[in-house]
Amino acid sequence: MMKLLAAAVLAAFCSVSFAQETLVVYWTKGFYPQEDKALDDMVAKFEKKTGVKVELSRYSPQESVPKAVAALDSGTPPDVAYGDVFDFQVAGKWAAEGRLEDLSDILTPMKAQFLPVTLDTVYLLNEKTKKRGYYAFPMKRQTMHIQYWKDMLAEAGFKESDIPKTWNAYWDFWCTKAQAGYRKASGKRIFSVGAPMGVDSSDSFYSFLTFMDAYNVKVVDNNGKLTVDSPAVKKGLVATVRDYAHTVDKGCTPPTAVTWKDPDNNVAFHNKQIMMTHNATISIASKWLDDMNSDKLTAEQRAQAKKNYYELIATAGFPMKPDGKPMQYRSAVKVGVIFNNAKNKKRAKEFVRFAMQDENLTPYVEGALGRWYPVTKAGASRPFWTEDPHRKIVHAQFSAGTVPFEFTKNWKFTILNNENVWAKAVNRVIVDKWTPEKAVDEMVARIKQVAG
Amino acid sequence: MLLLAPYILVFLVFVLYPVSYGLWLARNPESYRTLFEDPIFFTTVVNTVFFLLVAVNLKFVLALYLSGFFVHDKRWIRWLSVIFILPWAMPAIPTVFSIRFMFNPEWGVVNQTIFRLTGLDGPNWLTNPDLAMAMAILVHIWKALPFWTLILMAGRLAIPKDLYEAASVDGATAWQKFRYVTWPSLKTLYITSTLLSLIWTLGDFNSVYLLTGGQPADKTHVLATLGIRYIRLDQLDHAMATIVVALPFVLPLVWFMMKRLSGDEQKTS
Repeated sequence: MMKLLAAAVLAAFCSVSFAQETLVVYWTKGFYPQEDKALDDMVAKFEKKTGVKVELSRYSPQESVPKAVAALDSGTPPDVAYGDVFDFQVAGKWAAEGRLEDLSDILTPMKAQFLPVTLDTVYLLNEKTKKRGYYAFPMKRQTMHIQYWKDMLAEAGFKESDIPKTWNAYWDFWCTKAQAGYRKASGKRIFSVGAPMGVDSSDSFYSFLTFMDAYNVKVVDNNGKLTVDSPAVKKGLVATVRDYAHTVDKGCTPPTAVTWKDPDNNVAFHNKQIMMTHNATISIASKWLDDMNSDKLTAEQRAQAKKNYYELIATAGFPMKPDGKPMQYRSAVKVGVIFNNAKNKKRAKEFVRFAMQDENLTPYVEGALGRWYPVTKAGASRPFWTEDPHRKIVHAQFSAGTVPFEFTKNWKFTILNNENVWAKAVNRVIVDKWTPEKAVDEMVARIKQVAG
Repeated sequence: MLLLAPYILVFLVFVLYPVSYGLWLARNPESYRTLFEDPIFFTTVVNTVFFLLVAVNLKFVLALYLSGFFVHDKRWIRWLSVIFILPWAMPAIPTVFSIRFMFNPEWGVVNQTIFRLTGLDGPNWLTNPDLAMAMAILVHIWKALPFWTLILMAGRLAIPKDLYEAASVDGATAWQKFRYVTWPSLKTLYITSTLLSLIWTLGDFNSVYLLTGGQPADKTHVLATLGIRYIRLDQLDHAMATIVVALPFVLPLVWFMMKRLSGDEQKTS
């Protein structure tokens, strides 16, 4: 009997002492299988190296914030959380509230390896300690591109060289000439400009803010102070709202654009419901690159995908700004975080340090087929970025230098982005038939209320 | 007492704890102040009241009418009733999404057909806030109508046939039979079902969220979907406050329904 009892105690002891250490990781699901596979490989390598079991949960970009918020508020946050929209929607807020672990010990020694602007996004203010620190880790970047169907343009009776380079002429060309030409030639009710305008979408505010950049509008200075009371800024905001909403009034943006979520302009483009769209990654073109190598598709489908990628779809930058100068693009840096009440912070930091190594990070970034741009100089200097017709445009846009988002100067802009005051103003003009001036007044009032 | 223990445990874990935790999350008075200041909240309350009044009443009038049709003992009506019940029997996500795709203003089959036949653009079914709200009500009715029609059919089938025979002998018209036989027998069931439906409809997330997602510009939210918006905005306290604010709508309905049910029980015992 005593032996049996001793065996039971020993078994219980063993099960406790040898229970495998776990690390809970939330991550955004990739667009392409290669991206997910690269993450799986990274996790497997980490598990093999450390013996730690990684419990990986993947969520869609839109789900990643609610899932993390729910876990955080129930007191069971993941050890590591990465979300494609964390940077411009929540990371600054979480850092300010003192909810994030300082990762300076990981990032400071690596500082020289990063591209400019990259670390600005993760150098966040903790309002509890009144100190800035690296409260997030950067994984990849994105900026704004234009994608259009060359074959639709040709059917409309135009060549790529016919596309104007100046701001107003550029949008007028798509809105009037290209759309009318294609509708006449095909008899199909398509639209020319896929401008994302949904409130529940990050594409819409990224696009709107790019238009704002085109009008040289800066709503916050380098010290984080609002400039929205300046008449010049207000004038620029009115011009931006008017310009952005204009394509719907003219009938060249689909009416449903006001309800679009992030994937919807991609879907409309792939279905050839729109001739062109602005998108914050080249995911539209990359979808066909993924398809052309997919063994789940037939040979004909793969051949069509290859044709779409190499011949029919073009990636381009924006036209010259209304003042005639070239655009300088804003780049977003996609970040992950470690919550300061995570259970296994030591291993979480180890995982982040491991993930940030070029040999682990590069396959993950490149697994996205060009959708994301690297954060490190080594990653950006690889031939991957210059040997492809779409990626070389992306590389050129980044190489020309980028600017950061407003929230890097005033974290409360993450709240404004999250509420999407930008798309809301555009919706006021389109849905409620407000004047751009009235919509901007409401927008400015909200900006001052939240970030003032 | 020991036999009750599993039920008490389930009640504590799955009812008392989540409800208490939700109330605890919504404890900050500041959450209510900012919630009431949010213009979308006011629009949502108006939408919810409109949705409840129109959807529930229209649904029950239709269910009452259709239950009278489906009780007819004909082979083709039985087959038709099988088809009629499909929207309720099918899962919400594919059915509501299929409607969403059909009514997409650009490439949905409805507007494409209108364009092919007339050369005109069809209505912006899901991007005009008023039309989108009307569509959400229609989807709710389409999805829930078969269930309530079945319930009222069961009520009609329980009415003794002799009453109708006697009314016929007395020369009663169809309307008089309904007025003096059917309605008095169905009234209790009808009102109780309406109350139950009001409670369920208040919590109907699918019809609105899957169809419009609260869009355009957050103008088609109802209280059941607004919480998700706040969670997306990282404002869990506001999401919970939204639910607490709905309690003054729900609790009187629950109380009134329970009172009716217990009253009915007393009458039958």
